Amino acid sequence: MFVSDEDLMVKCRKGDIGAFELLVRRYQDPLINYIHRFINDYHRSEDLSQETFLRVFKSASRYKPTASFKSWLYTIATNLCRNEIRNRSRRNTCFLEELVEEGEDVYDSEIMRDTRYLPDVLLEKKEQRQIIRKTLAQLPDNQRVALTLVTYQDLRYEEVAEILGCSVGAVKALIHRARKKMKKLLIKAGIGE
Amino acid sequence: MKKYKRTELPKAHNSECETYLANLDELSAYIDKELPPWKRHLIRRHLKRCDTCASHLQRLQHTDNFLRHAGDVEVSDDFLNSVIARVSEVAQHQRQQASFWTRVRGLIEVSFGWISPFATLTGKLRYNIRTRSPVYISILTFAVFTMVGVTLYQPSGDKFGEKLRELDSEKLISFEVIQHEPPKRLLTTYLQRK
Repeated sequence: MFVSDEDLMVKCRKGDIGAFELLVRRYQDPLINYIHRFINDYHRSEDLSQETFLRVFKSASRYKPTASFKSWLYTIATNLCRNEIRNRSRRNTCFLEELVEEGEDVYDSEIMRDTRYLPDVLLEKKEQRQIIRKTLAQLPDNQRVALTLVTYQDLRYEEVAEILGCSVGAVKALIHRARKKMKKLLIKAGIGE
Repeated sequence: MKKYKRTELPKAHNSECETYLANLDELSAYIDKELPPWKRHLIRRHLKRCDTCASHLQRLQHTDNFLRHAGDVEVSDDFLNSVIARVSEVAQHQRQQASFWTRVRGLIEVSFGWISPFATLTGKLRYNIRTRSPVYISILTFAVFTMVGVTLYQPSGDKFGEKLRELDSEKLISFEVIQHEPPKRLLTTYLQRK
């Protein structure tokens, strides 16, 4: 029987760690991927995901079942990512993945292990992923958040509006601008005529 | 790798496009299925007739499809365990804190048990104030009337009033009329002579 996120959170509020574990299992993959696309550092994204889940558990008593759990989770994660980027710019540091060579990427091993494709196809896929990651990183914060949440996390515009604290119309405009800009950046990166 | 056509995205190019799309943000919403059915139907009908909008939509869809190939990162095997371990620590800490505060509350209740009737009374008063109950309104009305009454009521044994009555007001008035000097000075002179 499927138990909704909101019901699981109600159980968490009563101290049920089993219910919380189920929530973590449901959201660990999408959350790490979301944070990774935001800050572009795999190891740091795991830390921030842990921190997000911890904050969710700590503030479970304040959670109201009327609000969508997904929006709440991504709001916490977005705020943590923004802080991370702010701290990074303050420290003037860059992430590990901006320094590693293309062949040493920590998370591309999955593609390279895939035996369905020939090595040149795999390399092309890897290159494609890197270009997408780099072009996404060039988008302004709000556009990146909106586009990532809609494209990869399959969130509705209302939920994105809730996370960003703006209207649905503004989200619509952000998504459109982000797609237009991505297209330009992809052409600039060499994927275009 | 797939290639894009280097074509600028068009603006709404005629009145019909403007009517159906209002602005081009609608096309992105159309791709994401975020429009109401009636609007989707109108746009679909328009796209069959308008090649410019159709090609624009195709390019947006192309970008969207390309982005969806970004792939996912793998989550490490011990991620779940480490989260649960940290959460268990936090839960234990919260339980300890809760038990500490329960003990403190018990001690307070034993030491200050006599306060509870006052607390009940205060609670009732607060409830009455919050709910604007007739009891509260009648007490408030009584208090206001009492305050107004005390302010306006002059008791008969007022010493200040008696002293005023003792003053010879007629003479003061005559001084003011005859002399142009300030009456206070004249009054002093008058009293000294007397």
